[in-house]
Amino acid sequence: METIWLYQFRLIVIGDSTVGKSCLIRRFTEGRFAQVSDPTVGVDFFSRLVEIEPGKRIKLQIWDTAGQERFRSITRAYYRNSVGGLLLFDITNRRSFQNVHNWLEEARSHVQPHSIVFLLVGHKCDLEAQRQVTQHEAEKLAGAYGMRYVETSARDAINVEKAFVDLTREIFELVRSGDIQIQDGWEGVKSGFVPNMVHSSEEVTKGSRQCFC
Amino acid sequence: MSIPSSSPERESSAGVQLECPSSPPGLDADPPSTGSPVLSPDSSSHDAVLSAPAASPADSENLSPDELELLAKLEEQNRLLEADSKSMRSMSGSRRNSGSSLVSSSSASSNLSHLEEDTWILWGRIVNEWEEWRRKKDKLLKELIRKGIPHHFRAIVWQLLGNATDMPVKNQYSELLKMSSPCEKLIRRDIARTYPEHEFFKGQDSLGQEVLFNVMKAYSLVDREVGYCQGSAFIVGLLLMQMPEEEAFCVFVRLMQEYRLRELFKPSMAELGLCIYQFEYLLQEQLPELNIHFRSQSFHTSMYASSWFLTLFLTFLPLPVATRIFDIFMYEGLEIIFRVGLAILQYNQTDLIQLDMEGMSQHFQKVIPHQFDSCPDKLILRAYQVKYNPKRMKKLEKEYTTIKNKEMEEQIEIKRLRTENRLLKQRIETLEKGQVTRAQEAEENYVIKRELAVVRQQCNTASESLEKAQETIRELQQQTYTEQFVNNLQTQLEQSRLREAELLGALKEMQDKVLDLEKRSSCLPDENNMAALQEEVKQMKLRELETLRSFREMQDTVTDLNQRWQHHMSRSTGGGGGHWKESPKKNAMNELQDKLMTVRLREAQAQAELREVKLKALQLDSQNQIHSKLIGRHEQERSALQDRLQMLANQNKALQAQLNEMKRKQAESDCKSKEEVMAVRLREADSMAVMAELRQKIAELEIQKEEGLIKGQLNHSDSRQYISQLRDQIAELKNEVRQLRGQKAAPSSRIGCGGGSTNYQDLRLASPTSAEGDYLSSDDDLLNSPLPATALYPTLSDPCHQSTRLDSEGSTDSEAEERVQTHPDPQQLYGNMCLPFV
Repeated sequence: METIWLYQFRLIVIGDSTVGKSCLIRRFTEGRFAQVSDPTVGVDFFSRLVEIEPGKRIKLQIWDTAGQERFRSITRAYYRNSVGGLLLFDITNRRSFQNVHNWLEEARSHVQPHSIVFLLVGHKCDLEAQRQVTQHEAEKLAGAYGMRYVETSARDAINVEKAFVDLTREIFELVRSGDIQIQDGWEGVKSGFVPNMVHSSEEVTKGSRQCFC
Repeated sequence: MSIPSSSPERESSAGVQLECPSSPPGLDADPPSTGSPVLSPDSSSHDAVLSAPAASPADSENLSPDELELLAKLEEQNRLLEADSKSMRSMSGSRRNSGSSLVSSSSASSNLSHLEEDTWILWGRIVNEWEEWRRKKDKLLKELIRKGIPHHFRAIVWQLLGNATDMPVKNQYSELLKMSSPCEKLIRRDIARTYPEHEFFKGQDSLGQEVLFNVMKAYSLVDREVGYCQGSAFIVGLLLMQMPEEEAFCVFVRLMQEYRLRELFKPSMAELGLCIYQFEYLLQEQLPELNIHFRSQSFHTSMYASSWFLTLFLTFLPLPVATRIFDIFMYEGLEIIFRVGLAILQYNQTDLIQLDMEGMSQHFQKVIPHQFDSCPDKLILRAYQVKYNPKRMKKLEKEYTTIKNKEMEEQIEIKRLRTENRLLKQRIETLEKGQVTRAQEAEENYVIKRELAVVRQQCNTASESLEKAQETIRELQQQTYTEQFVNNLQTQLEQSRLREAELLGALKEMQDKVLDLEKRSSCLPDENNMAALQEEVKQMKLRELETLRSFREMQDTVTDLNQRWQHHMSRSTGGGGGHWKESPKKNAMNELQDKLMTVRLREAQAQAELREVKLKALQLDSQNQIHSKLIGRHEQERSALQDRLQMLANQNKALQAQLNEMKRKQAESDCKSKEEVMAVRLREADSMAVMAELRQKIAELEIQKEEGLIKGQLNHSDSRQYISQLRDQIAELKNEVRQLRGQKAAPSSRIGCGGGSTNYQDLRLASPTSAEGDYLSSDDDLLNSPLPATALYPTLSDPCHQSTRLDSEGSTDSEAEERVQTHPDPQQLYGNMCLPFV
């Protein structure tokens, strides 16, 4: 674990049960697709490095959460220390799309006084024939909440990399501009060991973080 | 998957194998580490009954010789197995694969060992004499269960342990299957991922999946509050590996009801929080270093322990190991989960402490699950070495509930404070706005005051002039003039108005007349014609006269002719008689004469007629002349009328001017009278205002009087004290507001501040003299000071002083006592006054 990284971002993956959160994360962190996986009971943890620009590597710590509503009492403790989040829904399950709003509310009420940069992810886009949510309406919803939208498939490895990397870039830009700051007692963003590079000037305080969710 | 053998602790891995080898009794007393692989695996697939190396001697003390013997045999077998462990085929890496063997076969092989036989016999006896064993040999039973229940007995023993053999709900089961549950969809989604690689549950529409779905659905109908919770299917799945669905359903219902599982799976999952809290306490108590490491890495307990509690290790450890734990769970409840969890952490402490979060996560996911594949007994043994104090746990439960309640209250409080804060903010805003408007108002006020001053000056001058005017009026009134004058003016006005009306009427008439005349005059001929006509008339008269003359001439001629005629006639008749005798010649001549005469007559007559016609013409001429003269006269008349009209118009104008003048005069007089009325009213208002002021003063004086009265009545309670109380309350409220603001900004730091300030206040309360100094220092301090000492002190010292004075004056003791009673003890008073501020 001595890899040199510029920042460490902590991400949380949320969404209804069986939308494919664990599979998406496994595809991203382990590069494989499991046909079946245990329902997540509580919270799982994964991590991976991504290189957003040549030489600029970011360590992602990814929290995989249980989707069933009653597990929120456990999962809600993990919002506070997350800087970014992937909000998943299943494009073949309209209900999971309708619940996006509830998830945002849940996140918003438990992330205070911080905020989370969310990416809306329409998962299982390989199952085009069973699609119940159009790309257009998903994009519209994402726009309404100020999020970006991407459609992914863990099975066919479509956009998985892009989803995580795009979110990472977005957060990176916000950190660089000072909109997101490294704070003591907050683990959403941590500064890593970076040789020959001055980046502390970028972290000069510029007022409190904005609400992105 | 084989476990790494690097750790020295792992050398004693005792083998609990599902595919248990027959153990030849000859290989006894082998030390665990020196065992050699002798035993070949066979297909007997019950969990080997193994004794833990440290079976507590205390337990065995109370046992009968029979049982002791049995225990000894079991231990012996265990040793054999341990010796054999190194040769054991490694457990399958996947817990699912290993799990599959649980149900795969139970063909009792022919080469069952004695010991196994003995075990079977023993468990058969236990099952048959269950009540007795529960009552009398509970400890032994516990011990046996810890060593594992033989696979074939699990179904019945779990049912017996769970007291689920005879449940009324069992009869409902088939009914429940016919109903549909709101959780069905969710259950269906999870069924395929519950033990997906286990033989029994493999493949869609497999028997396992169907019965699992049935039981989960049935339970969700029986207990609608819990419904279906992810994770519980693993427990039901395990039950279904051992027993038919109805029995499994009953045991699951019992587990939910009696084993805290229901609380764990409830929608709030409050019990899980409690379990994690309790587990954290144990971790802190028993593995403090690891706990610190976890904390420094922010490796939350819930990250790894949630599933331990919710699935009873069934999703964490391979099935054979988890099933052993489940055996114990059936007897002892959740305690074993705490013990095993802590044992696992303890076992891995040294490894974990060197890892960062990712490493630990990997360790938990990859390494730990398979550490005890071949030696579940070691894990269980370690679990029983963990200190676990049920009383302590109970206490923790209480603590947790109070914490949770507090948290909830705090949450509510925070919400309340947030809304309050918002309201206060709004109020501040409105107040700020109010200040702005107030400033504006003040400015306006100032302007108005200035205007007022100017107006007052004007008013003064006006009143002065008014006075003057009044004086003059008075003077005039003395001459009894004013009213008359006004009356006169009014009558004049009326008259002038009347006249004006009359004039207007006359004017109109005139105008009508003028119009009429104009109309008429337009019909008349002009003046020149008149003169000509008169000329003509004269000429006509002349002609008439001429005609008359000629007419007379004519008449004269006619008479002359007639005379001649008669003369002639008479001459002719005078010679007469003989007329007849005249000759014919003479007759013809007569005849001719006659004829001539008639012609002459005729001529005369024609001339007369002519004259007559001429006369007529003359007459017509004269008539014409008369007419034209008449026209001339009319013309003259018209011009005269026009002149008159002109004159009248001029007159009218003059009258109108006069009228205007009159009007102006009238307005002036009106104005004057109005002014007078206004002045009178102004004076009246002034006097009214003065009256009101005086009344207010009277009221104030009355209030003062009453206050004085009240003051007199309340000579015991000083009003200043009341004021000070009020001030204190204000100060407290201010402090509160400040704290609220502070909490918003930086809650933790402000709380410290708040504490400090209260201390400060306490200090002040304790030493009034120092507070007095502070009190005098500034206004702000006065507000902050909880109890202005100056307000308090005199009242305190007063009774003291009085009583001592009385004493010194030599009054009796009883009197002094009385005084002291009427004026309360200063200490007491002080205490009483302090009360509201505490």
